[in-house]
Amino acid sequence: MKRSLYTIASIAILFLAWWGASLTLEFARGRPIIPDPWQALVEVGRHGEELGRHFIASAARLGISLVIATLVAVPFGLMVGHERRLDRLITPMIYITYPIPQVVLLPILFIIFGLGDSVRVALISLALFFQILISARGAAKGISEEHLASVLSAGANRFQIYRHVILPASLPAILTSMRVSIGLGMALLYLSETAPMRTTTGLGSFIAKHFFSLDIAFAGVITMAFLGLVLYILLDIVERIVCRWQYVQRRDRPRWPSRLYPNKIREQFLRKIHRTDREG
Amino acid sequence: MIEVEGLKISYGAAGRLIEAVNEVGFSIDSGDSLALIGPSGCGKTSILFAIAGLVKPDAGNLSIAGERVDGIRRDAALILQNAGLLPWKTVWENANMSLRLSHRYPAENAAAVLEELGLAEFRDRFPAELSEGMKRRVGIARALSISPSVMLMDEPLASLDAITQERIQNLFLELWKQRGFTMVFVTHDIEEAVFLGQRIIVLSKRPAQIKAVVENPQMGELDYRESKEFHRLVIELRAVMQR
Repeated sequence: MKRSLYTIASIAILFLAWWGASLTLEFARGRPIIPDPWQALVEVGRHGEELGRHFIASAARLGISLVIATLVAVPFGLMVGHERRLDRLITPMIYITYPIPQVVLLPILFIIFGLGDSVRVALISLALFFQILISARGAAKGISEEHLASVLSAGANRFQIYRHVILPASLPAILTSMRVSIGLGMALLYLSETAPMRTTTGLGSFIAKHFFSLDIAFAGVITMAFLGLVLYILLDIVERIVCRWQYVQRRDRPRWPSRLYPNKIREQFLRKIHRTDREG
Repeated sequence: MIEVEGLKISYGAAGRLIEAVNEVGFSIDSGDSLALIGPSGCGKTSILFAIAGLVKPDAGNLSIAGERVDGIRRDAALILQNAGLLPWKTVWENANMSLRLSHRYPAENAAAVLEELGLAEFRDRFPAELSEGMKRRVGIARALSISPSVMLMDEPLASLDAITQERIQNLFLELWKQRGFTMVFVTHDIEEAVFLGQRIIVLSKRPAQIKAVVENPQMGELDYRESKEFHRLVIELRAVMQR
């Protein structure tokens, strides 16, 4: 089956589960507790234009924050991970400051960035910064000696070592941490768009405004989920481009045979032992 | 000419110092080939890395063509154990790596070498798409691209199947004869040492010291493997190594 069919099936199952939960709760309590997905989808359609505006505002906040956090955290994390002395000096600081919930710093952020969008971006960036920093550091620590020796013996300077070995080797881990941080980013996005930072734009403000008409609020929730989905898809596309080497396979060898088809295994096995080794 | 004198190398921090190499000395004329053979983990790679300028010895003198080795030399190429390919770079990018990093040679050099080694049609593939034998050849291409006068190899054929191993040994022999570089290679394979080494230095367990030096003047032809002399030397070397 095609991959897109699986995606459609996946979303359908999710909606059915939601519907099931909604019906069960309604049956148990004798009145509707959460709206069913169809009502929420109807509301999405009804508030389409408004939701679109909020979607763009939220996407911009989260997207910009993710980019800022990545651009700052990646070089810093790679350096801390690779330079041993820097690691010893900086890592204790990270371990001490990371557990402090960034929200605690809000009053200070207000003073520095005022009450506008910049404080929202600052809050989200700050939280994502640590997540990406820690992953980048970990990845840079695990670089294989062989790859380092390989470029060092070719006369690479420090910048070239980062450019050709440490950064590309760490990219998969960095992209994974970006994916993970979308969850945290969403939570902080919502927080930053509702009290005490209530604003008139963004999905968070939309949901908060319709808190007592759940059908509409859930339309906002669906749109928020859609925002997450869009970001994940974007990150997947980025990974396919910058980590293309991770998606290749040896072409002269059969892939690991599926356990479900014994005949296929036999066929592939025979092909394998009959193949003459053309290359040396 | 490569001269090594009283070489001492150790690893680790003070207090837990591991001596890798102790008082090793030898010399090799330009265009000759030398095999360093010894048990696994005996410190032979350390000697090679010191010649390559990657590892700073604690004591001793090292010189290539009369110049003291202190850092990477542009006329010396190093081939690492698993070819040292970067998995995120294509065959072409890997082969052209040494040239690109030093901004000095024309890129045609790497292209010509890829062509020569029969890798031209694979230039856009990634290492993960290649067989082990082809990966090694890409490593060789990278080394040859800088037209080195010294070729240093760290177990270049380890973990290859026997047939591929022989093919690449033959390739090394031909390239060595054709291009006339000085070849120093580390191996733990006795037959490889006898096939490719004009002189074979047998090293002891760590810390590496020279146990014996075996001269091998008759090497140099592809059919040497079938000769009586080859087998005699293999047996002799085995006896020395087991001592």
